[in-house]
Amino acid sequence: MHMTSRHPLKIRIESMGVYLPDTILTMEELLESCRNRPKWDLERITGIHERRIAVREYAADLAVRAAARALRLSTYSAEDLDAVICTSISKHDRPDEFSLEPATAVRIRRELGASKALSFDVVNACAGMINGIYIMQGLIRSGAVRRGLVVSGEHNMPVAETAAREMRHSFDGQIAALTLGDAGAALILDGSPDPIRGFHYLDLVSAARHDHYCYSRPSKRGPGGILVTKARGLQRKGNEHFPFYFKKALDGAGWALEDLDHIIPHQVSVRGIENSARALERYLGTPLPPITRIIADHYGNTSTTSHFVTMHDFILSGHIQSGDNLMLVSGASGIVISHAACTLDDLPDRYRNHFGPGGTP
Amino acid sequence: MRQCRIESLGVSLPERRVLPRGSMRHAVTAGKHCIRSSKYAPADIQVLINSGVHRDNHVCEPAIAVYIQHRLGINIEFQGRETLAFDLHNGGCGMLNAIQILCALMESGQIRVGMTVASEANSDRKPDPAYPYPDSGAAIILDRSPLLDRGFGHFAFHCREEYADLYTSIVDISVPRGRIRLQRAAELEAVYLGMIPHVIEEVLAKDNLTPEDIDRLIPAQISPGFLDQLPRMTGIPENKITGFPADLPDTLSTSLFLTLERSLAEKPANPGETFLLLACGSGVTVAATTYRF
Repeated sequence: MHMTSRHPLKIRIESMGVYLPDTILTMEELLESCRNRPKWDLERITGIHERRIAVREYAADLAVRAAARALRLSTYSAEDLDAVICTSISKHDRPDEFSLEPATAVRIRRELGASKALSFDVVNACAGMINGIYIMQGLIRSGAVRRGLVVSGEHNMPVAETAAREMRHSFDGQIAALTLGDAGAALILDGSPDPIRGFHYLDLVSAARHDHYCYSRPSKRGPGGILVTKARGLQRKGNEHFPFYFKKALDGAGWALEDLDHIIPHQVSVRGIENSARALERYLGTPLPPITRIIADHYGNTSTTSHFVTMHDFILSGHIQSGDNLMLVSGASGIVISHAACTLDDLPDRYRNHFGPGGTP
Repeated sequence: MRQCRIESLGVSLPERRVLPRGSMRHAVTAGKHCIRSSKYAPADIQVLINSGVHRDNHVCEPAIAVYIQHRLGINIEFQGRETLAFDLHNGGCGMLNAIQILCALMESGQIRVGMTVASEANSDRKPDPAYPYPDSGAAIILDRSPLLDRGFGHFAFHCREEYADLYTSIVDISVPRGRIRLQRAAELEAVYLGMIPHVIEEVLAKDNLTPEDIDRLIPAQISPGFLDQLPRMTGIPENKITGFPADLPDTLSTSLFLTLERSLAEKPANPGETFLLLACGSGVTVAATTYRF
């Protein structure tokens, strides 16, 4: 369901925080731990060399750390937040447990001291954070809240560990779980004081006919959770349809392709993103400028957080500048295709000053 | 200003069965009942929110709302009329959160018609005997109210996160297929009751109402003892409080709207009547809103 730029109030990313655990796990190390190692060169096929993994930290911890960073950069305090929406998929908050209640947002609210915030969880696979932005936009525009936190902590490694334990052959449906990584990301959103900065267009569409391509649930064969993906089918179906929505989002934002400074895709894998870029070029009938930003090679697929981990990396490296136009693109199990067209304010400069070299991360 | 109303309501009631039907069947049954009594076709629904807590096979991806969307035939393919489907989790208050979001999306002009569904079932092969909730489902279609003073008023959500550990529900994945472990402390109801006066005071003040203006209080059916305490905690007389302690147990996320459906079936609302809806859940969260027919 889309929202065009006709509404007078735009929301903006007032602040952002990303938390990446220090421990690195390479693809080779993960493959070595597999009981039945796939015969494929998974590093070459996916382009993923390594990822960060949380050790003695869990999903809610990653979310809290990211949110605390976002608050440090923000002009708002935790007490000022009117809403906390947590969008994590992997609610592994203790070993061998998957949390249902209370909502993770309540735990985050408690840790941050956001005592006035409306708090609930939203789950929509890897589109979760963009879905959270869409909801926050509605709440801010209706006047129900003035500012809020959209946050996610993804502790995906338990699912990768189950895959390493249970995969039986090189075509096993759990193989895509070996691409996952851990991270936390948080955004503080408010009404943009500048009508040309902020989210111009948000579009999410769920095509439930394709709900069979990817699912996650507890394993039937042993302990742990599993992620089963028909990766080629999912990508083929996504590439068939997402270029249409990409063009629609460009048009909705009132942009031409050359107005875009960065395309921030969901970081499924390096090769997957490259395939999608080619599908987009075929649809648009023109080559894409070199603006597709990829970090999957060293962070893997961090599911809901991946767009903002990518922004974090490219802001710190100086590629993303204040005032840049971004298109966030996501394909998630469901299948959910989502696009967010956004012009940044001075967030990149503030972010670099705070979290860059010489800053206070 | 009230802009969002219940256009249709459908339920799937708890029932005694040898083989449980599962949360998906209850969600779809409630959804079908809701669509059948609506003027809208499935294709008109622009946002679908599932706010049930317990899911068949403990699936955590994709959103359960997508499976419900598929089974209800709501715009299931790309590049036609479109629907966004997602899950929202906030225990027993989730449906009120979903309604508040749908109202916000309507008020800001983003959608015209939305639907929220919730269902509960324990799909464990050997369910924990301590698991208290019978299987059920509820669904609501919301649209823009044709009259500005009808429909949902303001919402109030109070959360006392210092009591979060009084109610926890997890899936234990140390065993194959996972198993629900739910813990509710004995003092939970007392915490709910202690929070209720503040929530009601806030929501009534936002809508410029007093307890005397409320024609019916529709609470989640937490327990007979909880219902007995409501007149004292709300200032609303007992004869205006809807309770079915004998035959409608607490069903968690669906309880509020199973109660509303039963109440309206027994005594339809007159135009202009104001109801107060009250939900309680983990967090610990107590939520309320008013609704004018």
